[in-house]
Amino acid sequence: MSGTFWFSKVPLNPDEHRASLADPAAGGYAGFEGWVRDHNEGRRVQRLEYEAFEALAIKEGERIVAEAIRQFGVRHAACVHRIGDLAIGDLAVWVGVSADHRAEAFAACRYIIDEVKHRVPIWKKEHYVDGNSGWVNCERCAQPAAHVHAHDHAHDARGDIDRSATPAIVPDYSRQMALPEVGTAGQARIDAASVLVIGAGGLGVPVLQYLAAAGVGKLVVVDGDTVEASNLHRQPLYDIDDIGKPKAEVAAHRLRRLNPSITIEAVPEPANAANVDALVAAADVVVECTDNFRSKFLVNDAAVRAGKPAVFASVYQYEGQLQVYRPSPEVPCLRCLWPNAPKDGLVGNCAQAGVLGPVPGTLGALQAMETLKLILGLAEESPDSLLVLDLLTLTTRKMRAKRNPACTHEIDANAPAVAQDEMEVSFASLEAARSAGFELIDIREGWERDFDPPHLRIERHLALSDWLHGHASIEPGPRYLIVCAHGVRSLGLTERLRELGIPSVYSLRGGLSALSDGRAPPEA
Amino acid sequence: MSKTVHVQYYAVLREQAGRSTEQVETHASTPAELYDELQRRHDLALPREMLRVAINEEFGEWTRPLESGDRVVFIPPVAGG
Repeated sequence: MSGTFWFSKVPLNPDEHRASLADPAAGGYAGFEGWVRDHNEGRRVQRLEYEAFEALAIKEGERIVAEAIRQFGVRHAACVHRIGDLAIGDLAVWVGVSADHRAEAFAACRYIIDEVKHRVPIWKKEHYVDGNSGWVNCERCAQPAAHVHAHDHAHDARGDIDRSATPAIVPDYSRQMALPEVGTAGQARIDAASVLVIGAGGLGVPVLQYLAAAGVGKLVVVDGDTVEASNLHRQPLYDIDDIGKPKAEVAAHRLRRLNPSITIEAVPEPANAANVDALVAAADVVVECTDNFRSKFLVNDAAVRAGKPAVFASVYQYEGQLQVYRPSPEVPCLRCLWPNAPKDGLVGNCAQAGVLGPVPGTLGALQAMETLKLILGLAEESPDSLLVLDLLTLTTRKMRAKRNPACTHEIDANAPAVAQDEMEVSFASLEAARSAGFELIDIREGWERDFDPPHLRIERHLALSDWLHGHASIEPGPRYLIVCAHGVRSLGLTERLRELGIPSVYSLRGGLSALSDGRAPPEA
Repeated sequence: MSKTVHVQYYAVLREQAGRSTEQVETHASTPAELYDELQRRHDLALPREMLRVAINEEFGEWTRPLESGDRVVFIPPVAGG
């Protein structure tokens, strides 16, 4: 033996293992022994065989022991698991912990055995008295251990130690397989599918939960944001301890617990021009769940290029829109419907909209449903409608849209696309921006300016609503810096003004809230 | 000649119009003229280029003829999630 977790082909000797934990500072020792018993789930068991993918299993096992030592502050800990043939009564697994006090010793010991049973890929073949035999765990069940385990919170130590030595996590899909349209063949299709989910927020959470629960074989979660307190009311996959942590990784961790038999990959960055094509190419279905037009059109274009179906949804207060794109000559893409790709911040701006959690929840559930229909071959051949739901009046409306013959279905390669980076500038203070020669324009609405401290006062005020009404304009010449609360509306207006032929317009990146002397503006 | 159409607003237009539906008596001959008229009446902020119009459950052109009894939906794109 070496290390803190290992496998043994020969019978275990607890006395010897315990001696290795001795420490003059330790006030106690707690040990656990798992034994082979003569029954499992109602069947009489005669003997057992254990197998493990050792390289992987040892790594995960050592990680668990290290977590226990760190979390509970114990002196030493170790775990050894048998492999090979075992008889009834044999010692299958041993865990030992030495610690200054008994409480930590018991807690760490329990943590180790619970986590080993959940996370270490070990297979158990039971030989029954009736002459039959069966592998109780399976490769798919052990798969989560092959992924980087997101240690983003303390694991609960509520494992059921009365169960057999391996957890045998086999999802039960019987309720969905009972549908004639699903059955064994449909479940196999779901199992073989790879779905890319872009955005793990209000829409993405239900999409991810339903698709993971349904057994979609591979889910890729793309989100560059961290969990914020203001997310929780509509993103109940997360909890209060997750605030500040990367959404993609927290989501992946939770989903692995929901369905350990599937593969979940976390991409903790937003979809962008550099990564979107590779992500889309690797997926069978793309689900767009972000809250911004930039990402929606980026994903639309990538789906069109790759010939992949994409499911789009978005919400505004009590309403939602749902559109499914399929690579077919009849089906409109997002750009067919919205030829003037909207600018973020100009339509229904972030400071004024609000949302009740079940609205994105409903739309996200519809996206999950459309995705499963695509996987199962139950989707309309040529979806040509935008579905609009109004959850206040509980009315739905399907509006047919034609493929636009003038649509390039992709961003116009000839259009001089101005990179976002080129339109945004960062400053630590408004004073620094003025010193750099910018003329500042505050485009927030009047009520947002009511409580500005003096150093955040911007003389020139042209509210976004005035711009949209055509009541605001600027004379060409000076270099303008457009300012709003978070930098979304200002970037949208900057893009529009550039298109209108005013080149010397810039947006303050992150808005007032990003200034070093800024303040939290009124909550969006 | 005056005609009556049924108008539905969505998203920020609904907020600004202060209603989700209304019957409108109008002389407008196209959805574009109708929107211009309603934009003035309700002080709607969004310019027409940012919207789509659907007539009788089908997205259509702003310049198509408007007929009495048409169900006209003005809809902006939304991005929330």
